[in-house]
Amino acid sequence: MADPFMAVYVAYTIVWAGVFIFIMYMYMRHRSINKSLRALKEELYGRAR
Amino acid sequence: MDIRKLGMPTTAVSMVLILLTIPMALFYAPLPQTSVSAAGEILSYIDGYEIRVAGFVTSYSVEEPTTFGPPTQHSFLLADFVDFERYEEASSQDRLDETWWTIEPLSVTFPSGGQFASQSVSISNGTNVSVFGLLTSDADGYSLHASTQSIRVGTSSAEFEITSAPLAQKIFYFHMPAAWISYVALFVTLAFSVVYLKTRRPAHDRIAYCAAELGVLFATMAILTGPIWAKEEWGVYWRWDDTKLVTTFVLWLVYMGYIMLRTAIVDPTVRARVSAVYGILGFITVPMSLLSSRIAPLMRSSHPQVIASSSGSLSPEAGLTIGIAVVAFTFLFATMLIKRVEIAESEDELEELKRSIGGED
Repeated sequence: MADPFMAVYVAYTIVWAGVFIFIMYMYMRHRSINKSLRALKEELYGRAR
Repeated sequence: MDIRKLGMPTTAVSMVLILLTIPMALFYAPLPQTSVSAAGEILSYIDGYEIRVAGFVTSYSVEEPTTFGPPTQHSFLLADFVDFERYEEASSQDRLDETWWTIEPLSVTFPSGGQFASQSVSISNGTNVSVFGLLTSDADGYSLHASTQSIRVGTSSAEFEITSAPLAQKIFYFHMPAAWISYVALFVTLAFSVVYLKTRRPAHDRIAYCAAELGVLFATMAILTGPIWAKEEWGVYWRWDDTKLVTTFVLWLVYMGYIMLRTAIVDPTVRARVSAVYGILGFITVPMSLLSSRIAPLMRSSHPQVIASSSGSLSPEAGLTIGIAVVAFTFLFATMLIKRVEIAESEDELEELKRSIGGED
């Protein structure tokens, strides 16, 4: 890095962007799984009826 | 007790601590101050080379020319990556070998060739300097190559650089906690892998896997932020002859392998059993990485010791900041683990349902 300010900025961005992206990934994944679960359960209950 | 109920409190605590840690690291924790004095006219640069060595001067000598001898030689002995006050204290108590074995003294000689204005040079021990040159390693240690053709020692301010307070040191406040939490996460993987092999309960396998995934995440952060700091401190992003860097990279590869292994095995029981064994065996890389700086004299490492020696080098402000950062990351890890386990439960439930539908069909 040409500038130590830039080095600190990039390093902090990596840490907090990493945490934020992972939390977002977990949130999206949870949403999609819950959606699939609901759909499957409905399908199963539908069959039972 | 339902661990999911802890999700909200841990989230709140980790957010508060993180919001506290960032300004503390940036504005409250002081930069490491070394004795920068009278460093006035030091300089060196070598055209075409990019590598910079930063350190403080532990000794400085000038070899005067004799009638038939070499021209005046200015020699610095640079100690890399440790602070001068601690060095002096250890030196005065005659325990330099015990405490300071991570030092890599770099002996730098500048043939003056008449260009070094010796009468204007005043260098005291502890002067923090940066030297540009081509750094190579061999059996005896490191050498900074400077030839009379390529080095020019000048006296104008445009031609020298002194690193007095490396701002990049601020990276430490997030680099170290990220690395530490990756070790903690992988220890959780080890513990729950052992427990799984005893109990064969899928819940334990889930926790082991989720912790490994988070361990890889935090290890990735440490591996990415470390080189940025290293570039500022050592002049290079990465050193393949540094035990700390290499063992941490091996750790990262091993746990990436753990994650890939899990995706490759379809049967949940086989997957859990195989990954538990892998999680236990793979943990050997954690002490290897954690203690690699400790065994540096046997091999080689410029990385600071993770487990500090008896005399800590951090100022109280820096100690408080790093302490809060570690606690903040611990809560962050706990929060993420709770959430990730919750997701893994849903994933397993979904997988189970799909299997049952498939079975019916």
